Amino acid sequence: MAVFSSAEEMWQVMSTLWERIKADPEMSGSLLKSKLIVQFRYRDPEWVLTIDSNDGEDMKIINGSGKNKAVVVMSMKADVAHEFWLGRVNVPLAILTGKIASQGPTPKALALLPVIRQAFPIYAQILEETGKKALVPK
Amino acid sequence: MQPFAFHSPTKITFGEDAACGAYEVTRELGGKRTLIVTDANLLNAGVLASVLAAFENGNDSASNQPIIFDEVPPDSDLDCVRSAASLARRAGCDSVLAVGGGSVIDTAKVANICLAYGGDLLDYLGLNNLPTKLFPMVAIPTTAGTGSEVSPVALIRDRDEQRKLLFGSPFLAPDLAILDPKLIVSLPPSLTAATGLDALTHDLESYAALISVSPFSDALCLESMRLIFQFLERATKCADDMEARAATLVASTMAGVAFTNAGVGLIHALAHATGAKYGTHHGMTNAVFLPHGMEFNLESVAGRYGSAARFLGISNELDDDKAARELIKAVRSLVARCGLPTRLKDLGVPAISESELEGLACAASTDAAIIFNPREPSLTEIIGVYKRAY
Repeated sequence: MAVFSSAEEMWQVMSTLWERIKADPEMSGSLLKSKLIVQFRYRDPEWVLTIDSNDGEDMKIINGSGKNKAVVVMSMKADVAHEFWLGRVNVPLAILTGKIASQGPTPKALALLPVIRQAFPIYAQILEETGKKALVPK
Repeated sequence: MQPFAFHSPTKITFGEDAACGAYEVTRELGGKRTLIVTDANLLNAGVLASVLAAFENGNDSASNQPIIFDEVPPDSDLDCVRSAASLARRAGCDSVLAVGGGSVIDTAKVANICLAYGGDLLDYLGLNNLPTKLFPMVAIPTTAGTGSEVSPVALIRDRDEQRKLLFGSPFLAPDLAILDPKLIVSLPPSLTAATGLDALTHDLESYAALISVSPFSDALCLESMRLIFQFLERATKCADDMEARAATLVASTMAGVAFTNAGVGLIHALAHATGAKYGTHHGMTNAVFLPHGMEFNLESVAGRYGSAARFLGISNELDDDKAARELIKAVRSLVARCGLPTRLKDLGVPAISESELEGLACAASTDAAIIFNPREPSLTEIIGVYKRAY
């Protein structure tokens, strides 16, 4: 069974997560410095999330594709995203084995991984706060 | 041991005159009319004679005779791919046979995308963006280096943007690779050496890709390196030494399977960026960058290089750092013995300004190959490796 039953449910969790990343000066600072527009295209459920740091000033969390063309697009099952935020996915290996598809200069996005990893505990915390504690491994 | 996945979707057959079987296997795979992709030099030199004879003697009706596209340049580009695909589509081809080096095989792979799906091939750019299986494809390498005959990736040059475009998907891996050492005997010494160094670079980068290595890829890398160190110089200096030709051909394909599973690294990223900008030969560019890239990675993978050096009999040193340095020295020695250039300027790369250098380093830093490098390089460090190689 898929971790998220609907796009709405996924948006609820992911938007909260990204809002907290945005509120963290170190993480949001790195994202803004990159000026990247990264789009995540999910399957099961079908949903698109865009993180637009293009202007270097305001990190926009967009439910959908947004107006600006994404620089990097990463596509995966929503369950893979869930595993990623739990810190259980080796992203380069997931790309190599086809679990994650990418378009654009992927290394630019991967360069942000060391910073983004700081959000792993936040994700687990959000799952607990939203009544999804069972999804957090003990 | 870390978790890993290993796959090798391409069936491999090997043997002198194995290429004669290309017609039969293409039909067994379901193809009725085949696009044969090659280059004019190979065609004119008669390298494809046995392959074409097999098609001529086959049971195809007049309307199903193969279509030959022989306009692939040494460093294939988007226009070439589109021409090949257009020709194949007009003829109603439903299978692809590539006979040539990496450029030919990559052209055939990406032409197969256009043929199978239609539309703009740039829609399929990137990694894992192909939705379904392509038409059956058979690859017969006429060089021993790229590993493209077994890899799920293809690099095509975008001349306008001066960059290499990467297409990667499990569906891109050919269904069958036919290794026929007779087809590589006409390869000139410089290309024999350069393509061999390309294969050695695949081995050394895959073996050092700490996040993605497995015992399977390790085994392939080590045996492939052993064959290259033992036979490449012989294959370079004596064109019709079939034992050496066969060994380097097999080594190259083994390295191809290895990097398919473990990835490459900084050396390839730099070679792609440099090749896209200056049109340098991929294998020769790798040969130039290889010792410098290894030196850069040394602090992260001395243990891996050291174990390879001991396996290859290059060093008896128990100290990894010392053994690793002996491996780098052995690579330099092999490059020299094979008569390859050792500096970028010897490849015709012009001296460039700091800002151009930064642009080139940026291109390398965003090349997908760099994802697997064991040590993350800064732009300044990439520039440093480039300058040392220059």
